[in-house]
Amino acid sequence: MHKLFARQLAKVKAATGEVDLNALGELVTAAYEANDRDRRRTDRSIARMIEELDELNRGLERLVEERTAALREREEQLHAQNTRFDTALNNMSQALMMFDASGRVVICNPRYHEMYGLPRDFVQPGRTVNELLEYRQRNGTFLEDPKAHLAKMMEAMGEGKSVKRLLELSDGRAISVVMRPMTGGGWVMTHEDITEHRRAEKQIAHMARHDALTDLPNRVLLRDHLAQALAGVPRGEKVAVLYLDLDNFKSVNDTLGHHIGDELLKAVAVRLRNCIREIDTVARVGGDEFAIIQVGGDQPTDGATLARRICDAIKAPYDLHGHSVMVDTSIGIAISPSDGTEPNELLKNADMALYGAKADGRGTYCFFEPAMDARMKARRSLELALRHAVVNGEFEVYYQPLVGLSDRRVTCCEALLRWNHPERGLVSPAEFIPVAEDIGLIVPLGEWVLRKACADAAAWRPEIKVAVNLSPIQVMSQNLAPVVISALAASGLPANRLEIEITESVLMQNTETTLAALHRLRELGVRISMDDFGTGYSSLSYLRSFPFDKIKIDRCFISGLGDGDDSVAIVHAIAGLAKNLGITTTAEGVETQAQLNHVRALGCTEMQGFLFSPPRRLDEIAEFLRPDAKRDARTEAARRSA
Amino acid sequence: MHADQLSWSESTGWHPAKADGAANLVLFFGTRQALACGNRYHELKGIFPHAHILGCSTGGQICNDEVNDDEIVAVALRFVDTRLRLAREPAPGPEHSRKCGEAIGKAMLADDLAGIFILSDGLNVNGSELVAGITGVIGERVPVTGGLAGDGALFQETLVGADSAPTSRIVGAVGFYGTAVRIGHGSAGGWDEFGPRRSITRSRGNVLFELDGKPALDLYESYLGEDDVKGLPGTALLFPLRIRNPKRPDHDIVRTILAVDRAARSMTFAGDVPEGWVAQLMRGNFERLAEGAAKAARQAAEQITEQTGDRIAVLVSCIGRRLLMGQHTVEEVEATGFEFGANVPRLGFYSYGEIAPHGVSGVCELHNQTMTITSISEAVG
Repeated sequence: MHKLFARQLAKVKAATGEVDLNALGELVTAAYEANDRDRRRTDRSIARMIEELDELNRGLERLVEERTAALREREEQLHAQNTRFDTALNNMSQALMMFDASGRVVICNPRYHEMYGLPRDFVQPGRTVNELLEYRQRNGTFLEDPKAHLAKMMEAMGEGKSVKRLLELSDGRAISVVMRPMTGGGWVMTHEDITEHRRAEKQIAHMARHDALTDLPNRVLLRDHLAQALAGVPRGEKVAVLYLDLDNFKSVNDTLGHHIGDELLKAVAVRLRNCIREIDTVARVGGDEFAIIQVGGDQPTDGATLARRICDAIKAPYDLHGHSVMVDTSIGIAISPSDGTEPNELLKNADMALYGAKADGRGTYCFFEPAMDARMKARRSLELALRHAVVNGEFEVYYQPLVGLSDRRVTCCEALLRWNHPERGLVSPAEFIPVAEDIGLIVPLGEWVLRKACADAAAWRPEIKVAVNLSPIQVMSQNLAPVVISALAASGLPANRLEIEITESVLMQNTETTLAALHRLRELGVRISMDDFGTGYSSLSYLRSFPFDKIKIDRCFISGLGDGDDSVAIVHAIAGLAKNLGITTTAEGVETQAQLNHVRALGCTEMQGFLFSPPRRLDEIAEFLRPDAKRDARTEAARRSA
Repeated sequence: MHADQLSWSESTGWHPAKADGAANLVLFFGTRQALACGNRYHELKGIFPHAHILGCSTGGQICNDEVNDDEIVAVALRFVDTRLRLAREPAPGPEHSRKCGEAIGKAMLADDLAGIFILSDGLNVNGSELVAGITGVIGERVPVTGGLAGDGALFQETLVGADSAPTSRIVGAVGFYGTAVRIGHGSAGGWDEFGPRRSITRSRGNVLFELDGKPALDLYESYLGEDDVKGLPGTALLFPLRIRNPKRPDHDIVRTILAVDRAARSMTFAGDVPEGWVAQLMRGNFERLAEGAAKAARQAAEQITEQTGDRIAVLVSCIGRRLLMGQHTVEEVEATGFEFGANVPRLGFYSYGEIAPHGVSGVCELHNQTMTITSISEAVG
């Protein structure tokens, strides 16, 4: 009997054993109903659960699809990333390797086996670092003991440090090796061939201490060598420094071009090298300047011998791309310890001596003397004062008249620059003009004089010209003609009242530019005079190279006229020649009546000198030139001769 | 310890009418209808003038192998070496449950406190909070067992009497003191997990609003079907909810429903349903539920086997189990009898919530849909 039914039966059975069938029916019915309800609930809940699970399942399927798609995308990205990584790895210039904690290769790019000549299939993941090193030891690309090397390396990396080493291979290559520990054990290692890099570094280091054109040591290395020589020389021994430059190197550059100038410098460098011993140093210290360190020897004798040898060597002709070039050199010599014990001091004194050599006439040498220093200081002081003078307007233009010998009328006044220094007083042009030329002040100064003279002369009687001296540097400057035109235009002075005086040295720089500039001025109507004729090379050929309007015969011939020397013949010849060429001649520096008589007798056209008038300030000359002025050449001459 | 079982029925009154007048604790369980008048309490007080008297309304009474809806079941206990203390606290609403628990904990607190048996209002108390309030004061070492009073399948009003006539909104408890008393306990469900796991996405205390972002009541209604929906909240007991803290996956708790709010689409449970926890519906079959009851009995019985004197077992089983099992309910009660043996009297009731230490953590808490058994004995001599 079913347990439940038994309970139901027991429940409805009376003590008498009688069964209440109605009550039993109710219990059984209730149990059936409960069962039915329970079954329905179960069916319903299971159906609902299936629905829910189905829904959930669809959701999961969607999720799986989405995740699968995302995964696929990530795989593709990963693949692309790996491809890029491989490309990078295979194309990098360094060899790169990764080892795991047990020292086995994880990653290795092809550069590694290329670099060390290992078979490609030998260098594969799983290969131990020890095997690699042993192989390299056999093929000569690893020169240490692999085990000892590894132990040392592991110790350093065990402390978390990177290890950097330089490997010098027997074939001359230099390899930089860096090992870095990785988190989680293992290490990454790069090998970089730095042979070329090191060569370039050496090259750069060489270039920093050598002159690129001649490959001679430069000033930096010269100073080092000199310091070493001075420090290393035994007591009693001497060190000579020879400082030299090429005379007229600039004209070589100007006339033949810089490439010929460079060739000349290279050739000079070779000759200088040949002049010295192995232990000496020759350096190019800039431009056309060179310096030589001569160690030991019998000084100053050996220094002088070397200087002479150099002068001779340098002045031998050079054949530079078909151009025959000749240069001289001037050399200054300073000797340690008497002329200095410090490199800079010695070099400075040798340079000063070089100035001395140039002053003595080029193509020679000169030893340093303490007086040079004083002279140099004086000159520096003058340079400084000159620059101040330009700024402060300490210059003044004086005018000295030129007078016709036939009619004794003033034809022209020569503008003469005066420097009235507040402390030094009047400074001689002979003193400051060369300095102004050297320091580049002559061009602005000359232009100022030109403009002032034009402006002043414009106020004079129209028949009186004004003469302005131009330095060779001014004549060679590109904008001479524009400056002259501008000065004339600004002053309103007709071009034919301006005379430009140049010296022979201008024509010595006989370039096309110079002549073209002079011709341009002459075409404008400006007159061109040859100044100080007879003092320079006195080459009559200069007179043929340019159609001068006037020749001014130098005062040295005029002062010598009464002494019975050659002056009479020379003046006579110049005057005669000029007359035939239709050129005016001016006798300069006429101071006495006798000289006046001479020059007139010798056929000169004009005279200039104290006999007639000293250079005068503008206000005085303006007064002097007034038509009603009582003074004329004759009365002045009479006054002076009296 | 000496134990006398007795019962009351409309027709016979208390039986046996005479009993051990020296008993110091009487436990009684009956229907709300039978207890509401207060006469039964006063009758018991007359029979056992020296005893603390603690009882509550139920969803059915258990007496040995019987389950009935008519009789009041009671047991009178006379302890020899055990002191008792009774506490009664008002329970005005679920929000006061922790305070109420703390008050009881304070009333019971003593160094030799060996256990607490508690009966609580079944509708106006958050059982989880109540137990947390007690253990917060007395610690987690002392077992707290008992249950929430019931009201059949009506869920209207529950009564608790603690040295007083039973009334609504009361929590009563008796504390056992000394080294002689032995309190054993066991708790098990026997329900099977059913359907997908869900996440509690919105809740507040013991009120559940949403599972997986959808109203919880919708889910229940879809499972219950039209007829059973009318029977809510009682019918929801057919599908208890197992909840689990995802951080402690081995510690799961079964929650049973107390009320529904059709407008808010929410459901109120007998204990907390924390947000973020995992929830899964459960369903039962008779055999598995009976096995669960047997398991609880086994646990409780093992802890008192060595004792001399009388032993009793107080069975607190969930109303949900009874609703599901119907006429088969008695099978779970019979199953407990096999474990305890015929000489251990069993009594108890169908409740709206069971209280006992958790089988895994040992921490006392509220259970639902379980058979929870407290075994009591005393070591004498």
